[in-house]
Amino acid sequence: MALLLKAEHASENQDFESDQRIVKFVVVKKREEDHAQPAALTSFEDAMLPHLDAAHNLARWLLRNEQDAQDVVQEAYLRAFKSFAGFHGSNGRAWLLTIVRNTSYTLLKKNRAVDLTTTFDEEIHAPGYESVSPATILEHSEDAELIREAMDELPAEFREILTLRHQEGLSYKEIADIAQIPPGTVMSRLARARAKLRECLAVRIGKEK
Amino acid sequence: MNCEEATKLMDGYLDGELDPITSQTIEQHLRECPKCDRAYKTHGSLIRALGNATPYYKAPAELRERIQSSLRKEIGERPTRNGGQNTRSLFPRKQPEPRTILFGTSWNWLALAAAIVLAAIIGWTLLPRLQRSGADQFLATQLIASHVRSLMANHLSDVASSDQHTVKPWLDAKLDFAPPVVDLSSEGFPLVGGRLDYLDNRPVAALVYQRRKHFINLFVWPGETGSARPTMAMSHQGYQLLHWADPDFNYWAVSDVNANDLQTFKQQFELQTSHH
Ligand SMILES: [Zn+2]
Repeated sequence: MALLLKAEHASENQDFESDQRIVKFVVVKKREEDHAQPAALTSFEDAMLPHLDAAHNLARWLLRNEQDAQDVVQEAYLRAFKSFAGFHGSNGRAWLLTIVRNTSYTLLKKNRAVDLTTTFDEEIHAPGYESVSPATILEHSEDAELIREAMDELPAEFREILTLRHQEGLSYKEIADIAQIPPGTVMSRLARARAKLRECLAVRIGKEK
Repeated sequence: MNCEEATKLMDGYLDGELDPITSQTIEQHLRECPKCDRAYKTHGSLIRALGNATPYYKAPAELRERIQSSLRKEIGERPTRNGGQNTRSLFPRKQPEPRTILFGTSWNWLALAAAIVLAAIIGWTLLPRLQRSGADQFLATQLIASHVRSLMANHLSDVASSDQHTVKPWLDAKLDFAPPVVDLSSEGFPLVGGRLDYLDNRPVAALVYQRRKHFINLFVWPGETGSARPTMAMSHQGYQLLHWADPDFNYWAVSDVNANDLQTFKQQFELQTSHH
Protein backbone atom coordinates (compact mmCIF):
# COMPACT_ATOMS: atom_id res chain seq x y z
CA MET A 1 0.00 0.00 0.00
CA ALA A 2 2.91 2.30 0.61
CA LEU A 3 3.75 1.80 -3.00
CA LEU A 4 0.26 2.74 -3.98
CA LEU A 5 0.58 6.01 -2.12
CA LYS A 6 3.79 6.79 -3.87
CA ALA A 7 2.38 6.11 -7.27
CA GLU A 8 -0.65 8.28 -6.65
CA HIS A 9 1.40 11.21 -5.51
CA ALA A 10 3.83 10.85 -8.32
CA SER A 11 1.15 10.82 -10.95
CA GLU A 12 -0.56 13.73 -9.32
CA ASN A 13 2.60 15.77 -9.26
CA GLN A 14 3.21 14.86 -12.83
CA ASP A 15 -0.22 16.06 -13.83
CA PHE A 16 -0.07 19.29 -11.98
CA GLU A 17 3.47 20.13 -12.85
CA SER A 18 2.49 21.10 -16.32
CA ASP A 19 0.81 24.24 -15.17
CA GLN A 20 2.68 26.95 -13.36
CA ARG A 21 -0.45 28.26 -11.68
CA ILE A 22 -1.25 24.86 -10.32
CA VAL A 23 2.22 24.14 -9.05
CA LYS A 24 1.74 26.97 -6.60
CA PHE A 25 -1.27 25.45 -4.95
CA VAL A 26 0.40 22.12 -4.48
CA VAL A 27 2.80 23.89 -2.18
CA VAL A 28 0.08 25.75 -0.35
CA LYS A 29 -2.10 22.65 -0.09
CA LYS A 30 -0.05 21.08 2.70
CA ARG A 31 -0.79 23.97 5.01
CA GLU A 32 -4.36 24.64 4.00
CA GLU A 33 -5.68 21.13 3.89
CA ASP A 34 -6.57 20.78 7.53
CA HIS A 35 -8.20 24.16 7.90
CA ALA A 36 -10.95 24.00 5.32
CA GLN A 37 -13.88 25.98 6.66
CA PRO A 38 -17.52 26.33 5.69
CA ALA A 39 -16.84 29.84 4.34
CA ALA A 40 -14.17 28.40 2.06
CA LEU A 41 -16.66 25.79 0.93
CA THR A 42 -19.20 28.44 0.01
CA SER A 43 -16.77 30.43 -2.06
CA PHE A 44 -15.51 27.24 -3.69
CA GLU A 45 -19.01 26.18 -4.63
CA ASP A 46 -19.86 29.64 -5.92
CA ALA A 47 -16.80 29.58 -8.14
CA MET A 48 -16.83 25.98 -9.30
CA LEU A 49 -20.36 24.57 -9.32
CA PRO A 50 -21.34 26.73 -12.32
CA HIS A 51 -18.87 24.61 -14.31
CA LEU A 52 -20.41 21.31 -13.28
CA ASP A 53 -22.01 20.69 -16.66
CA ALA A 54 -18.74 21.35 -18.48
CA ALA A 55 -16.91 19.06 -16.07
CA HIS A 56 -19.45 16.29 -16.48
CA ASN A 57 -19.60 16.63 -20.25
CA LEU A 58 -15.82 16.38 -20.60
CA ALA A 59 -15.57 13.39 -18.28
CA ARG A 60 -18.49 11.69 -19.99
CA TRP A 61 -16.87 12.03 -23.42
CA LEU A 62 -13.49 10.93 -22.15
CA LEU A 63 -14.73 7.91 -20.23
CA ARG A 64 -17.74 7.02 -22.41
CA ASN A 65 -19.51 5.76 -19.34
CA GLU A 66 -21.93 7.64 -17.14
CA GLN A 67 -21.04 6.04 -13.82
CA ASP A 68 -17.29 6.53 -14.34
CA ALA A 69 -17.93 10.11 -15.41
CA GLN A 70 -19.86 10.89 -12.24
CA ASP A 71 -17.24 9.25 -10.05
CA VAL A 72 -14.46 11.17 -11.73
CA VAL A 73 -16.27 14.50 -11.50
CA GLN A 74 -16.96 13.97 -7.83
CA GLU A 75 -13.33 13.05 -7.22
CA ALA A 76 -12.17 16.05 -9.26
CA TYR A 77 -14.33 18.44 -7.22
CA LEU A 78 -12.90 17.00 -4.05
CA ARG A 79 -9.36 17.44 -5.33
CA ALA A 80 -10.16 20.92 -6.55
CA PHE A 81 -11.63 21.87 -3.20
CA LYS A 82 -8.56 20.70 -1.32
CA SER A 83 -6.40 22.78 -3.63
CA PHE A 84 -8.70 25.76 -3.96
CA ALA A 85 -6.92 27.91 -1.38
CA GLY A 86 -3.92 27.97 -3.67
CA PHE A 87 -5.82 28.79 -6.82
CA HIS A 88 -5.41 32.45 -7.69
CA GLY A 89 -6.05 32.32 -11.41
CA SER A 90 -8.99 33.95 -13.10
CA ASN A 91 -9.99 31.04 -15.30
CA GLY A 92 -11.81 28.74 -12.89
CA ARG A 93 -13.39 26.70 -15.64
CA ALA A 94 -10.08 25.85 -17.33
CA TRP A 95 -8.56 25.05 -13.94
CA LEU A 96 -11.40 22.72 -13.00
CA LEU A 97 -11.41 21.07 -16.44
CA THR A 98 -7.68 20.42 -16.11
CA ILE A 99 -8.32 18.52 -12.89
CA VAL A 100 -11.26 16.66 -14.43
CA ARG A 101 -9.14 15.78 -17.41
CA ASN A 102 -6.23 14.54 -15.31
CA THR A 103 -8.51 12.51 -13.08
CA SER A 104 -10.18 11.00 -16.14
CA TYR A 105 -6.85 10.03 -17.66
CA THR A 106 -5.72 8.43 -14.43
CA LEU A 107 -8.76 6.22 -14.61
CA LEU A 108 -8.38 5.59 -18.34
CA LYS A 109 -4.78 4.59 -17.85
CA LYS A 110 -5.71 2.21 -15.09
CA ASN A 111 -8.67 0.66 -16.82
CA ARG A 112 -8.21 0.61 -20.52
CA ALA A 113 -4.76 1.57 -21.47
CA VAL A 114 -5.05 0.99 -25.19
CA ASP A 115 -7.46 3.82 -25.74
CA LEU A 116 -5.04 6.65 -25.16
CA THR A 117 -3.01 7.08 -28.28
CA THR A 118 -3.92 7.71 -31.84
CA THR A 119 -0.80 6.49 -33.52
CA PHE A 120 -1.89 2.97 -34.21
CA ASP A 121 -4.87 3.63 -36.35
CA GLU A 122 -4.60 7.17 -37.55
CA GLU A 123 -3.04 6.32 -40.85
CA ILE A 124 -5.15 3.27 -41.50
CA HIS A 125 -8.21 4.56 -43.24
CA ALA A 126 -11.35 2.52 -43.15
CA PRO A 127 -12.38 1.33 -46.60
CA GLY A 128 -15.16 3.21 -48.29
CA TYR A 129 -14.97 6.53 -46.50
CA GLU A 130 -13.84 8.38 -49.58
CA SER A 131 -16.98 7.51 -51.52
CA VAL A 132 -19.11 9.57 -49.13
CA SER A 133 -19.04 13.26 -50.00
CA PRO A 134 -18.92 16.11 -47.48
CA ALA A 135 -22.38 17.12 -48.69
CA THR A 136 -23.74 13.71 -47.73
CA ILE A 137 -22.14 13.97 -44.33
CA LEU A 138 -23.68 17.40 -43.94
CA GLU A 139 -27.11 15.90 -44.67
CA HIS A 140 -26.59 13.57 -41.72
CA SER A 141 -25.10 16.19 -39.45
CA GLU A 142 -28.16 16.52 -37.28
CA ASP A 143 -28.19 12.88 -36.43
CA ALA A 144 -26.96 13.14 -32.85
CA GLU A 145 -26.80 9.39 -32.37
CA LEU A 146 -24.63 8.99 -35.45
CA ILE A 147 -22.29 11.71 -34.24
CA ARG A 148 -22.12 10.19 -30.80
CA GLU A 149 -21.16 6.81 -32.20
CA ALA A 150 -18.51 8.32 -34.46
CA MET A 151 -17.09 10.45 -31.65
CA ASP A 152 -16.93 7.47 -29.31
CA GLU A 153 -14.82 5.65 -31.86
CA LEU A 154 -12.10 8.31 -31.70
CA PRO A 155 -9.10 8.12 -29.39
CA ALA A 156 -9.36 9.96 -26.09
CA GLU A 157 -7.14 12.87 -27.10
CA PHE A 158 -9.42 13.54 -30.07
CA ARG A 159 -12.63 13.29 -28.06
CA GLU A 160 -11.07 15.64 -25.59
CA ILE A 161 -10.02 18.32 -28.03
CA LEU A 162 -13.29 18.19 -29.97
CA THR A 163 -15.28 18.57 -26.75
CA LEU A 164 -13.17 21.46 -25.54
CA ARG A 165 -13.35 23.35 -28.83
CA HIS A 166 -16.76 22.52 -30.27
CA GLN A 167 -18.77 22.31 -27.09
CA GLU A 168 -16.96 24.56 -24.64
CA GLY A 169 -15.69 26.96 -27.29
CA LEU A 170 -12.32 27.25 -25.57
CA SER A 171 -9.41 29.08 -27.14
CA TYR A 172 -6.34 27.24 -28.39
CA LYS A 173 -4.42 28.62 -25.43
CA GLU A 174 -6.94 27.26 -22.93
CA ILE A 175 -7.00 23.93 -24.73
CA ALA A 176 -3.20 23.75 -24.62
CA ASP A 177 -3.31 24.38 -20.86
CA ILE A 178 -5.97 21.78 -20.20
CA ALA A 179 -4.65 19.07 -22.50
CA GLN A 180 -1.07 19.89 -21.49
CA ILE A 181 0.27 20.15 -24.98
CA PRO A 182 2.30 22.95 -26.59
CA PRO A 183 0.02 25.70 -27.96
CA GLY A 184 1.55 25.16 -31.37
CA THR A 185 0.19 21.64 -31.62
CA VAL A 186 -3.45 22.44 -30.81
CA MET A 187 -4.33 23.40 -34.38
CA SER A 188 -2.83 20.30 -35.96
CA ARG A 189 -4.35 17.96 -33.39
CA LEU A 190 -7.72 19.60 -33.86
CA ALA A 191 -7.42 19.28 -37.63
CA ARG A 192 -6.54 15.60 -37.30
CA ALA A 193 -9.41 15.03 -34.90
CA ARG A 194 -11.88 16.68 -37.24
CA ALA A 195 -10.60 14.74 -40.23
CA LYS A 196 -10.90 11.49 -38.31
CA LEU A 197 -14.41 12.37 -37.15
CA ARG A 198 -15.43 13.08 -40.73
CA GLU A 199 -13.95 9.78 -41.76
CA CYS A 200 -15.75 7.82 -39.04
CA LEU A 201 -19.01 9.50 -40.01
CA ALA A 202 -18.44 8.73 -43.68
CA VAL A 203 -17.82 5.07 -42.93
CA ARG A 204 -21.00 4.81 -40.88
CA ILE A 205 -23.07 6.59 -43.51
CA GLY A 206 -21.51 4.44 -46.23
CA LYS A 207 -22.53 1.29 -44.36
CA GLU A 208 -26.11 2.49 -43.94
CA LYS A 209 -26.64 2.87 -47.64
CA MET B 1 0.73 31.04 -50.02
CA ASN B 2 0.08 27.80 -51.88
CA CYS B 3 -2.79 25.34 -51.50
CA GLU B 4 -0.87 23.03 -49.21
CA GLU B 5 -0.09 25.80 -46.75
CA ALA B 6 -3.63 27.08 -46.90
CA THR B 7 -5.00 23.61 -46.14
CA LYS B 8 -2.65 23.24 -43.23
CA LEU B 9 -3.78 26.50 -41.66
CA MET B 10 -7.44 26.12 -42.50
CA ASP B 11 -8.60 24.93 -39.08
CA GLY B 12 -6.77 27.74 -37.34
CA TYR B 13 -8.34 30.23 -39.72
CA LEU B 14 -11.77 28.71 -39.21
CA ASP B 15 -11.36 29.02 -35.45
CA GLY B 16 -10.11 32.59 -35.67
CA GLU B 17 -6.85 31.61 -34.03
CA LEU B 18 -4.37 32.87 -36.60
CA ASP B 19 -2.49 36.11 -36.33
CA PRO B 20 -3.90 38.93 -38.48
CA ILE B 21 -1.20 38.78 -41.11
CA THR B 22 -1.51 35.03 -41.69
CA SER B 23 -5.29 35.40 -41.75
CA GLN B 24 -5.04 38.02 -44.47
CA THR B 25 -2.72 35.82 -46.51
CA ILE B 26 -5.21 32.97 -46.31
CA GLU B 27 -8.11 35.23 -47.19
CA GLN B 28 -6.26 36.35 -50.24
CA HIS B 29 -5.56 32.77 -51.25
CA LEU B 30 -9.23 31.84 -50.80
CA ARG B 31 -10.24 34.74 -53.04
CA GLU B 32 -7.88 33.51 -55.73
CA CYS B 33 -8.31 29.74 -55.40
CA PRO B 34 -11.83 28.35 -55.93
CA LYS B 35 -10.75 24.88 -54.89
CA CYS B 36 -9.53 25.92 -51.46
CA ASP B 37 -12.44 28.31 -51.07
CA ARG B 38 -14.89 25.48 -51.65
CA ALA B 39 -13.01 23.19 -49.27
CA TYR B 40 -12.99 25.92 -46.64
CA LYS B 41 -16.73 26.57 -46.90
CA THR B 42 -17.60 22.87 -46.81
CA HIS B 43 -15.27 22.19 -43.91
CA GLY B 44 -16.58 25.22 -42.04
CA SER B 45 -20.26 24.39 -42.34
CA LEU B 46 -19.61 20.75 -41.52
CA ILE B 47 -17.62 21.61 -38.40
CA ARG B 48 -20.30 24.03 -37.21
CA ALA B 49 -23.10 21.54 -37.87
CA LEU B 50 -21.30 18.72 -36.11
CA GLY B 51 -20.39 20.92 -33.19
CA ASN B 52 -23.99 21.96 -32.73
CA ALA B 53 -25.33 18.43 -33.03
CA THR B 54 -22.84 16.77 -30.71
CA PRO B 55 -24.76 15.62 -27.62
CA TYR B 56 -23.96 17.68 -24.55
CA TYR B 57 -24.01 15.64 -21.38
CA LYS B 58 -25.38 17.93 -18.70
CA ALA B 59 -24.72 16.89 -15.14
CA PRO B 60 -27.66 15.11 -13.54
CA ALA B 61 -29.10 16.79 -10.45
CA GLU B 62 -28.07 13.94 -8.19
CA LEU B 63 -24.41 14.46 -9.10
CA ARG B 64 -24.56 18.01 -7.80
CA GLU B 65 -26.05 16.74 -4.56
CA ARG B 66 -23.48 13.99 -4.31
CA ILE B 67 -20.66 16.47 -4.75
CA GLN B 68 -22.09 18.92 -2.25
CA SER B 69 -22.54 16.23 0.34
CA SER B 70 -19.07 14.81 -0.22
CA LEU B 71 -17.59 18.30 0.18
CA ARG B 72 -19.49 18.77 3.44
CA LYS B 73 -18.27 15.42 4.62
CA GLU B 74 -14.77 16.53 3.76
CA ILE B 75 -15.07 19.46 6.17
CA GLY B 76 -17.15 17.72 8.79
CA GLU B 77 -15.16 14.57 9.09
CA ARG B 78 -11.74 16.15 9.12
CA PRO B 79 -11.06 15.54 12.82
CA THR B 80 -11.78 11.82 12.54
CA ARG B 81 -9.24 10.66 10.06
CA ASN B 82 -10.94 7.40 9.27
CA GLY B 83 -14.29 8.91 8.48
CA GLY B 84 -15.74 9.02 5.03
CA GLN B 85 -15.78 5.30 4.50
CA ASN B 86 -19.07 5.65 2.75
CA THR B 87 -17.83 8.24 0.35
CA ARG B 88 -17.27 6.64 -2.96
CA SER B 89 -13.72 7.41 -3.82
CA LEU B 90 -11.90 6.64 -7.00
CA PHE B 91 -8.39 7.09 -5.81
CA PRO B 92 -8.24 6.25 -2.13
CA ARG B 93 -5.20 7.61 -0.40
CA LYS B 94 -5.62 7.61 3.32
CA GLN B 95 -7.07 4.23 4.13
CA PRO B 96 -4.39 1.65 4.69
CA GLU B 97 -6.49 -1.33 3.67
CA PRO B 98 -6.86 -2.10 -0.01
CA ARG B 99 -10.06 -0.78 -1.48
CA THR B 100 -11.80 -2.60 -4.20
CA ILE B 101 -14.16 0.04 -5.45
CA LEU B 102 -14.31 0.35 -9.20
CA PHE B 103 -10.86 -1.01 -9.94
CA GLY B 104 -11.46 -4.42 -8.46
CA THR B 105 -7.93 -4.84 -7.21
CA SER B 106 -5.53 -2.64 -5.36
CA TRP B 107 -2.82 -1.11 -7.44
CA ASN B 108 0.64 -2.36 -6.85
CA TRP B 109 3.86 -2.67 -8.75
CA LEU B 110 3.06 -6.12 -9.99
CA ALA B 111 -0.24 -4.95 -11.37
CA LEU B 112 1.46 -1.90 -12.80
CA ALA B 113 4.07 -4.00 -14.53
CA ALA B 114 1.42 -6.40 -15.77
CA ALA B 115 -0.64 -3.51 -17.09
CA ILE B 116 2.31 -2.06 -18.89
CA VAL B 117 3.26 -5.38 -20.41
CA LEU B 118 -0.33 -6.07 -21.40
CA ALA B 119 -0.74 -2.62 -22.87
CA ALA B 120 2.50 -3.05 -24.72
CA ILE B 121 1.42 -6.38 -26.13
CA ILE B 122 -1.91 -4.99 -27.22
CA GLY B 123 -0.21 -1.92 -28.63
CA TRP B 124 2.22 -3.93 -30.63
CA THR B 125 -0.32 -6.39 -31.86
CA LEU B 126 -2.02 -3.43 -33.42
CA LEU B 127 1.18 -2.31 -35.06
CA PRO B 128 2.14 -5.10 -37.41
CA ARG B 129 3.32 -2.58 -39.96
CA LEU B 130 6.39 -1.73 -38.02
CA GLN B 131 7.76 -5.25 -38.21
CA ARG B 132 9.69 -5.15 -35.02
CA SER B 133 11.70 -8.11 -34.01
CA GLY B 134 10.63 -9.99 -30.93
CA ALA B 135 13.74 -8.88 -29.09
CA ASP B 136 13.08 -5.21 -29.77
CA GLN B 137 9.52 -5.66 -28.63
CA PHE B 138 10.50 -7.18 -25.37
CA LEU B 139 13.16 -4.56 -24.81
CA ALA B 140 10.84 -1.67 -25.57
CA THR B 141 8.36 -3.02 -23.05
CA GLN B 142 11.06 -3.01 -20.42
CA LEU B 143 12.15 0.47 -21.43
CA ILE B 144 8.72 1.94 -21.00
CA ALA B 145 8.30 0.16 -17.68
CA SER B 146 11.60 1.58 -16.55
CA HIS B 147 10.69 5.08 -17.71
CA VAL B 148 7.34 4.94 -15.94
CA ARG B 149 8.91 3.54 -12.80
CA SER B 150 11.52 6.29 -12.69
CA LEU B 151 8.77 8.91 -12.84
CA MET B 152 6.41 7.23 -10.41
CA ALA B 153 8.90 6.39 -7.75
CA ASN B 154 10.35 9.89 -7.98
CA HIS B 155 13.58 8.16 -8.70
CA LEU B 156 14.65 9.89 -11.83
CA SER B 157 18.28 10.13 -11.00
CA ASP B 158 20.88 8.69 -8.69
CA VAL B 159 23.09 11.64 -9.37
CA ALA B 160 21.04 14.78 -9.82
CA SER B 161 23.09 17.30 -11.63
CA SER B 162 22.87 19.43 -14.71
CA ASP B 163 26.63 19.28 -14.96
CA GLN B 164 27.81 16.68 -17.43
CA HIS B 165 31.19 16.75 -15.69
CA THR B 166 29.53 15.48 -12.52
CA VAL B 167 27.21 12.97 -14.11
CA LYS B 168 29.76 11.36 -16.40
CA PRO B 169 32.37 10.39 -13.78
CA TRP B 170 29.63 9.07 -11.54
CA LEU B 171 28.31 6.78 -14.27
CA ASP B 172 31.78 5.80 -15.43
CA ALA B 173 32.59 4.63 -11.92
CA LYS B 174 29.46 2.49 -11.69
CA LEU B 175 29.60 0.94 -15.13
CA ASP B 176 32.04 -1.11 -17.12
CA PHE B 177 31.71 1.31 -19.99
CA ALA B 178 31.83 5.08 -20.40
CA PRO B 179 28.64 6.45 -21.91
CA PRO B 180 28.72 9.80 -23.68
CA VAL B 181 27.14 12.51 -21.53
CA VAL B 182 26.35 15.98 -22.79
CA ASP B 183 24.23 18.77 -21.43
CA LEU B 184 21.75 20.06 -23.98
CA SER B 185 20.41 23.05 -22.04
CA SER B 186 21.08 25.51 -24.81
CA GLU B 187 19.22 23.17 -27.18
CA GLY B 188 16.19 23.11 -24.88
CA PHE B 189 16.88 19.76 -23.26
CA PRO B 190 18.68 20.39 -19.98
CA LEU B 191 20.45 17.44 -18.42
CA VAL B 192 18.81 16.61 -15.10
CA GLY B 193 20.90 13.71 -13.93
CA GLY B 194 21.99 10.15 -14.45
CA ARG B 195 20.84 6.84 -13.10
CA LEU B 196 21.99 3.27 -13.07
CA ASP B 197 19.34 0.98 -14.49
CA TYR B 198 19.04 -2.68 -15.43
CA LEU B 199 17.74 -4.00 -18.70
CA ASP B 200 17.99 -7.59 -19.77
CA ASN B 201 19.97 -8.28 -16.61
CA ARG B 202 22.70 -5.92 -17.62
CA PRO B 203 23.50 -2.53 -16.11
CA VAL B 204 22.82 0.39 -18.40
CA ALA B 205 23.19 4.12 -18.10
CA ALA B 206 20.01 6.17 -17.97
CA LEU B 207 20.58 9.83 -18.75
CA VAL B 208 17.70 12.04 -17.76
CA TYR B 209 16.87 15.14 -19.74
CA GLN B 210 14.06 17.57 -19.36
CA ARG B 211 11.89 19.07 -22.05
CA ARG B 212 9.72 21.78 -20.51
CA LYS B 213 7.80 19.81 -17.87
CA HIS B 214 8.48 16.44 -19.42
CA PHE B 215 11.32 14.03 -18.95
CA ILE B 216 13.31 12.01 -21.40
CA ASN B 217 15.09 8.87 -20.29
CA LEU B 218 17.99 8.07 -22.58
CA PHE B 219 19.21 4.51 -22.03
CA VAL B 220 22.72 3.82 -23.21
CA TRP B 221 24.80 0.65 -23.30
CA PRO B 222 27.54 -0.74 -25.50
CA GLY B 223 26.39 -2.11 -28.83
CA GLU B 224 27.23 -5.56 -30.09
CA THR B 225 26.91 -4.79 -33.73
CA GLY B 226 29.84 -2.42 -34.04
CA SER B 227 27.94 -0.54 -36.68
CA ALA B 228 25.34 2.16 -36.92
CA ARG B 229 21.70 1.12 -37.10
CA PRO B 230 18.96 3.11 -38.77
CA THR B 231 16.79 5.11 -36.44
CA MET B 232 13.63 3.41 -35.38
CA ALA B 233 10.74 5.38 -33.97
CA MET B 234 7.67 4.01 -32.32
CA SER B 235 4.89 5.38 -30.30
CA HIS B 236 2.40 3.81 -28.09
CA GLN B 237 0.55 4.28 -24.86
CA GLY B 238 1.39 7.94 -24.93
CA TYR B 239 5.11 7.27 -24.97
CA GLN B 240 7.51 7.91 -27.78
CA LEU B 241 10.46 5.64 -28.27
CA LEU B 242 13.40 6.35 -30.47
CA HIS B 243 16.17 3.87 -31.05
CA TRP B 244 19.45 4.35 -32.79
CA ALA B 245 22.96 3.05 -32.56
CA ASP B 246 26.40 4.27 -33.42
CA PRO B 247 29.44 2.02 -33.70
CA ASP B 248 29.98 2.17 -29.95
CA PHE B 249 26.60 2.38 -28.26
CA ASN B 250 22.94 1.46 -28.38
CA TYR B 251 20.55 4.28 -27.59
CA TRP B 252 16.93 4.17 -26.62
CA ALA B 253 15.13 7.40 -25.80
CA VAL B 254 11.78 7.11 -24.03
CA SER B 255 9.50 10.00 -23.20
CA ASP B 256 6.04 11.46 -23.36
CA VAL B 257 7.21 14.47 -25.34
CA ASN B 258 5.95 14.50 -28.91
CA ALA B 259 7.71 12.60 -31.66
CA ASN B 260 9.19 15.72 -33.25
CA ASP B 261 10.72 16.87 -30.01
CA LEU B 262 12.27 13.48 -29.49
CA GLN B 263 13.73 13.52 -33.00
CA THR B 264 15.16 16.97 -32.32
CA PHE B 265 16.57 15.69 -29.06
CA LYS B 266 18.28 12.83 -30.87
CA GLN B 267 19.75 15.12 -33.49
CA GLN B 268 21.09 17.52 -30.89
CA PHE B 269 22.47 14.70 -28.81
CA GLU B 270 24.29 13.26 -31.80
CA LEU B 271 25.53 16.65 -32.86
CA GLN B 272 26.91 17.46 -29.43
CA THR B 273 28.44 14.06 -28.75
CA SER B 274 30.23 14.07 -32.08
CA HIS B 275 32.06 17.19 -30.89
CA HIS B 276 33.41 15.46 -27.84
ZN1 LIG C 1 -5.68 26.68 -53.03
